[in-house]
Parts: sequence; structure tokens; C-alpha cells
Amino acid sequence: MPDDIAEVYRSTYPALVRFLYRKVWDAERAEDLAQEAFARALVHRPENTRGWLFVVAANMARDEARRAAREKRHLTLLKSEPDAVHSSPEEDIDAATRTKRVRAALDDLTPRDREALLLWDAGMSYDEIAAQTGLARGAIGTTLARARRRLVEAYDAGLEGGQHVARG
Amino acid sequence: MSHVDEGTLHAYLDGELPSAERAALEAHLADCATCRANLTEERALRERATAVLGSARPAERPAPPLEQLRREPQGSPWRVRRSFAWAASIALALGLGYYMRSPGASPVASVSPAPAEPVAVARNRAVATEEDKTPARPQSQRRPGERQASRPVDEVVVVAREAPRGDSATPALRLADSVKLDAGAVSGALARAERDRASAAPASVIVDGAPARQLGSTAWPMINRRLARSILGEEPVGLPGLATRAFRRAPGTDGTVVVEQVLDSSTVIQIFQRPAYPYDSSGSGSINEGRSRPRAYASEDRARERSNLRFGRFVRGLRVEITGPLSADSLNRLLEQVAPLPPLP
Repeated sequence: MPDDIAEVYRSTYPALVRFLYRKVWDAERAEDLAQEAFARALVHRPENTRGWLFVVAANMARDEARRAAREKRHLTLLKSEPDAVHSSPEEDIDAATRTKRVRAALDDLTPRDREALLLWDAGMSYDEIAAQTGLARGAIGTTLARARRRLVEAYDAGLEGGQHVARG
Repeated sequence: MSHVDEGTLHAYLDGELPSAERAALEAHLADCATCRANLTEERALRERATAVLGSARPAERPAPPLEQLRREPQGSPWRVRRSFAWAASIALALGLGYYMRSPGASPVASVSPAPAEPVAVARNRAVATEEDKTPARPQSQRRPGERQASRPVDEVVVVAREAPRGDSATPALRLADSVKLDAGAVSGALARAERDRASAAPASVIVDGAPARQLGSTAWPMINRRLARSILGEEPVGLPGLATRAFRRAPGTDGTVVVEQVLDSSTVIQIFQRPAYPYDSSGSGSINEGRSRPRAYASEDRARERSNLRFGRFVRGLRVEITGPLSADSLNRLLEQVAPLPPLP
């Protein structure tokens, strides 16, 4: 019996948008993709709506990222301009700068660590994360511990140096 | 017991440690200052990571009503409204044939700027057979007797692909091409969705049937061709060469019949018709009167605007109106092609 999609929609939509936002880094696109995912769920009526949504959303975001990467390749020089050189307290830097730093920090994670972290943040359980990522359930804690440490370290390094730490 | 690894500590902090392990861990923590210190450290790390991640979040906006998504299975109009520039750019690319068309320009001039588009449109369709190419012959309302039997949808698509190549293609076929491009513009807003449909059902599952639920008049009872003719007093009219999906009659004694024809798998044209004189005492024959209609299949505002348009003319003794998820221009041109359907054998 498929889940009640209306209920899943109500409870999961914001988390799905947030999940997608941290992949495409565009709030409107994230909403677009989330809505698209739900629209598909309405057609497919998957058994496990929530898990299915995140799988579909992750796929959409990945395709989106590939396309964006192609389109932006020629903008590499522009993108490589240094971050703001001053080091500000977290609460003082504006939202755009903060987002940029979080994004850079997330980019420092391995794809699997990042995925686990974003899924956890979207409210998924270890079981759900395991099903989604293919990781053993017993490995999720270790994965999240590593992801969190790396995220914080990279974020702080970005704050201090104005430069991202080397990609790992 | 050796010290607890950080993964276990995080699982514990996340509330995801199985109860037996949790009990063992808590027992160990009571005795092990090192692990207690580690736990404190990991808790701080966990909170910090959550804060960092939480500092990059989109502004939360209310979700559009789920009904909205249900009605627009391929994409929400909310998206298009907000990201109109993006949608417009795709529509421009896919619908170049339509946008390049100036109202008075000949169809020939309008189609040629976008030779590549019909190929893209037809890419996922059935492979053309030699038989499919026969429609690329002169055919118009003025030659109603020629090859007007309903054809499967795929052939229409093939026509759309073939037409730009031959300079001798007729206006009717070029029209099909331009309309096809236009339909591409409508669905172009969902091009992204279609790209990764690999993980979704075949397109037809999403597309087929959607118009049927959404066209306002599809609740009308279906009738057969003979009854349609009987109500109208003459042969029903339609677009030559398009598959006819259904004949329906209006509820009551209005005398209106609607012929639903399939332009492609996502585009259904409705041709309303009724005997002109008994029911149309006003004698109004005005062309292009805009009239509010139940919304037809549409996936963006522009399409909705289009589908609200309904154009009318007289064909022999019938008052004929046409509606569908196409531009006013396309509907007008289609209307000009309307002709009596060939008599049943």
C-alpha cells in the first residue's frame, strides 16, 4: 500500500527542498526539482514514497550538476576569484558569503560522506540512509562522524584563510 | 572494553544505536573518563556541523498545493511563473519555428529557421516506415477526399520531422510541423524532466490520459460517429489526417458535438461543432472571439492563456470552434484546415 502522498508532501517537502538546495545551490531550482519529484511520485505511487523521492531528487540534482558544470566551465576564471580576505565572525558575514563557504566546505567531502550528511539533515534515519547510499547500516555512524568533522574543518579553514583547503 | 570509536558515539548521539549497544555504551561511559571526554567532543562537533549546514538553507516558502502538482503531472506552473526567464529560453529554443513566425508570414518562411527542432521532437518516436512518408503529399481541406482516414499518432510526428526537408511540402503539412514545434515549446518547460525520465515511467504513462482528465468537456458522453452525424445533420468536421480519439455530445439537448483529435501524445485538439442555424440565432460568425473555457492541458501560464482561447468559424452548416493547448496562431491555422471528415465506408 503506497504511503499517503499528501501526508509525505506536507511533512517532507521542506526537507526535500533543503536537500536539493545543497546540491544545486539555487533555491528556486531546488523547489522546482522538489515539485517535480512529487509530481512524479503522484504518477508512480511508489511503495516507500519518502525514500523514492530522495532517490529521484538526488538523480535529478546530479544531472543538473553535470549540466551546470558543462555550462560553467568557461567561467572557471571568474569563479576562482579569492573569497573575501577578511575573517569575520560567523554572525557578521552576510548570508551569501556564508552559503558560499558552506558550499565550499561541502565540496570538500567525498560524495558518499556528503550524501549521508545531507540525507541525515533531511531527516532520514540510518536505515533509510543505508538503503539510499548502499552503505552498511553499521557504517553510517562512522560516515557521519567523518563527514561532520570534515565539514567543520573545511568551513573553519575557509573562514581563516579565505581559501578552501585542498580537495580531498 | 576498549575505547568507543567515534562512529558509535555519533550513532549514539543520533539516537540510532540499537538498544543493546546503547546500554553497553552507557555502562562503559560510566567507567571511562576518556570516552566521556570524547563524547563531549563529538557532541560539540555534531552540533557545530548541524549549525554550519543549517546556515546554508533556502528561505522556506510554502509548498504549492499538492493538487497543483497532480493536475500538472509534468511540472508545476509555480515553477514556470517564478523561473519564467529560464522557461522562456527553452521555449524559445524549442519553439523557434513558432516564435520566428510573424502573423502574416508564409508558413514556409516560418519553419525554415529551425530545421533541427523537428528532428529533436521526433527522436523518441517510432521509426518511420516507407508507409509513414506518404502523408507528405498535398492535402488540405479543399481536397477532403484524399487520404483522410485517421492515422496513428506516430505518422503525424514523422510528418513533422520530414516536412522541413522538402520544399514541396504543402501548407497543411508545414502547419503540422509548426504546431508540433509549438507543442514542443509547451512541453519544453519540462525538458529537464524528460531528460532524466529514465528513472521514471515511459513518457506515455505520464502524458497519455492526462489531457483526457483535464479537458473540460471530456466528461461529456462519448458517442459514435454515426450518432454525431445524426445530431449534426451532416458529417462532423475535423482536421484531415489527424487521428480522431473520440466523438462526444454535450449534455442535454444543446446539439453540440465535440470531436477530439490527437496532434501528438500530449496534445489533444477539441473541435466543437453544432448546427449553426437552429442553435445560433444571433448569427454571430465572428472569428477569434475569445471565450473562457475550462482549462485544457497546459503546463505553463502561456499555455493556459492559449488554451482559454477558442476560435470559431462556419463550415458548411456547422458552427465550429476549436480549442487546445496551442498558441492562438496555431489554433487559428488549424481552424482553417477543418473540413468534413470523410464519410464512413
